[in-house]
Amino acid sequence: MEPCKLAVKGFTVGLALFLMAGASLAGEIKGKVSVQGLKSAENIAVYVDAIPDKKFEAPAAKPVMDQRKMTFVPHVMVVQVGTTVEFLNSDPVGHNVYWPSISGNKKLSHNLGTWPKGEKKGFQFNDPGAVGLLCNVHPEMSGYIVVVPTPYFAVTDKNGNYEIKNVPPGKYTLKTWSEDGKVTTQAVEVAGATATADLVVKK
Amino acid sequence: MLASILVILGLASLLVMVPRGHAIPAFSRKYQTSCTTCHSNFPELNDFGEAFKKNGFKFPKDDETFVKQEPVLLGSKAQKEAFPEAVYPGEIPGALPIAFRYSGTFAVNASQPSGVNQTASFIPRTDIFQPNTFTIISAGSFGQNLSFWIDDDISTGGSGGMGGLGDGYLKYNDLGRFFHLPLNSLNVRFGQFELDLPFTQARTIYLSDFDVYDQMNVAGATGTTNNPFALGTPQRAIEFGGYPNNGNFAWSVAVTNGGNDGPALRSNKDVYFRASYKFNLERDRESRAAIQAAGPTGPRDHTSIRLGGFFYHGRNVQNIASTLPLFSGLGSFSEPFYRAGGDLRFKYRHLELFALGMVGHDDNHLVLTDTTGAQTLVKAPAITYTGGFAGTNYWVFPWLIGTMRYDFVNSPTDFFNGVSKDRTRNRFSPGFQVLVRANIKILGEYSYTWESPVTNVSGNTVFYRPNSFLTGIDYVF
Repeated sequence: MEPCKLAVKGFTVGLALFLMAGASLAGEIKGKVSVQGLKSAENIAVYVDAIPDKKFEAPAAKPVMDQRKMTFVPHVMVVQVGTTVEFLNSDPVGHNVYWPSISGNKKLSHNLGTWPKGEKKGFQFNDPGAVGLLCNVHPEMSGYIVVVPTPYFAVTDKNGNYEIKNVPPGKYTLKTWSEDGKVTTQAVEVAGATATADLVVKK
Repeated sequence: MLASILVILGLASLLVMVPRGHAIPAFSRKYQTSCTTCHSNFPELNDFGEAFKKNGFKFPKDDETFVKQEPVLLGSKAQKEAFPEAVYPGEIPGALPIAFRYSGTFAVNASQPSGVNQTASFIPRTDIFQPNTFTIISAGSFGQNLSFWIDDDISTGGSGGMGGLGDGYLKYNDLGRFFHLPLNSLNVRFGQFELDLPFTQARTIYLSDFDVYDQMNVAGATGTTNNPFALGTPQRAIEFGGYPNNGNFAWSVAVTNGGNDGPALRSNKDVYFRASYKFNLERDRESRAAIQAAGPTGPRDHTSIRLGGFFYHGRNVQNIASTLPLFSGLGSFSEPFYRAGGDLRFKYRHLELFALGMVGHDDNHLVLTDTTGAQTLVKAPAITYTGGFAGTNYWVFPWLIGTMRYDFVNSPTDFFNGVSKDRTRNRFSPGFQVLVRANIKILGEYSYTWESPVTNVSGNTVFYRPNSFLTGIDYVF
């Protein structure tokens, strides 16, 4: 084997080992959200709040918020600040998407207009907060996009379980957002592979 | 005098008795969607609601995917192949498609002139919840092509008041598929229903009727004509109609009893024809073809102008058991009549303008009695009228609508018979409507109306304007 090829192979193996070690360092936060006074523990956003002196690049992926059978799908979506969300109309009826505020700030209201079936329209969310999505012809429709400062987030399943993956070791503040509940804040430390944090969300 | 009383009573009874159809929350439940999907101001339909209705109370596209209450199948769809050896499969709504409506108004009436004979012509200054109507509505579809509608005022005018059936019909959509015609170009419906009028009275947003729709030709002292037909009243009929060209062209031909919503008053049938064309003025081609236009802030009704015309022809047979007055010395005789008119509607964003003009014409006779008492019939000048209305609705907000309407009826015969002080009966009706919720409405309407006759204590006729302000609540569930 030529020395040059040997050096390249050695570098590749070394890089792979380094990456695997890095991956093994990242842990996950999992747990269960229980509710008091709310109908369900489903669709509650759980996320790691802003980390001091830590900035995250906006992700390239563009999640899709669908309008299907006159509902927003998913009902709750969590994205990192800077994410572009694509809004799809899968219905043969006219819809629009607008939000009257972001976390109560009416200056951030926006109306995306109307577009036909099968087409998408994108919007980049640069302000953190909860975005209540509405359709002005079908007022029964509602959905939420929760814009959070970190890439560490999850949405609870119907039993209230959540799992946030690839969280580096450290001490964090865990926060919740829910449609009708108050914000719950809880400290959590990721030291090993899995940190467990059960949360209670009250109305 | 008797004639004028008959005319007034006739008009008044119509105002009270004409049943109204309504918005239909049963569809809200079936599709789990808000009233605003089909109504910008219930019960008036928006473009989507029009398309839904024209399609046999189904979503214009992919209806099955939107139904949240699954229907009960009356035979599997595969049984179509077994037909005629098996009953053709159908379906009924999964949940009972029932809805209710209550409407009640508070009236403030103008003061009557001093000296009015209160025993004959009393109108209270205020009247709480009159009219006061509770209605049951049922509508839906029986599978792919059959749909139905029934609305019945269970009570009107308070406790024990008599209501009545408004519309009750069965419709077969897209009969034209057997002849390879475009979708919904040929449909048929049977039953009792409001004719395909340019502007619905049964499902109007206004508190008052369109005056010209209630006009009946009664000759009184000027002849034999005594025609109970009123265009705005539901008729028992068979109607063929369709909506080709993306629903922009609409036509209908109905064969009716001509007896309003009662049984046949005569053996012959009447015919009603209507055609209209909606010129879609949306610039964007894709938006033009869609059910609703794509506005910068959401779907909305198309900017459009609709022009239409209608014609009703019938023969009012006089001197038969069901008509009054009777002329004992004569056999039955026929008095052909027609109603014809044109209409216009313009929609632009939050603004709606509309107008209708029409004429009514009834053949008329005089009964001459000679010295021996024998009666003979001679042709007399026809009983005619012209009339119409024009108005505008403006959505200040999606929940606040301002309305303005002008109605007029020019009936020389009514004038001669003392129904009004002037030949033309004019009425201006400004109003407002507030959607407190999508299914609850507070509304008000002021009527500045023509001068009507009342009798004073001396037995003389005096005229005054019976203006009124109606405000009330209207809710459906």
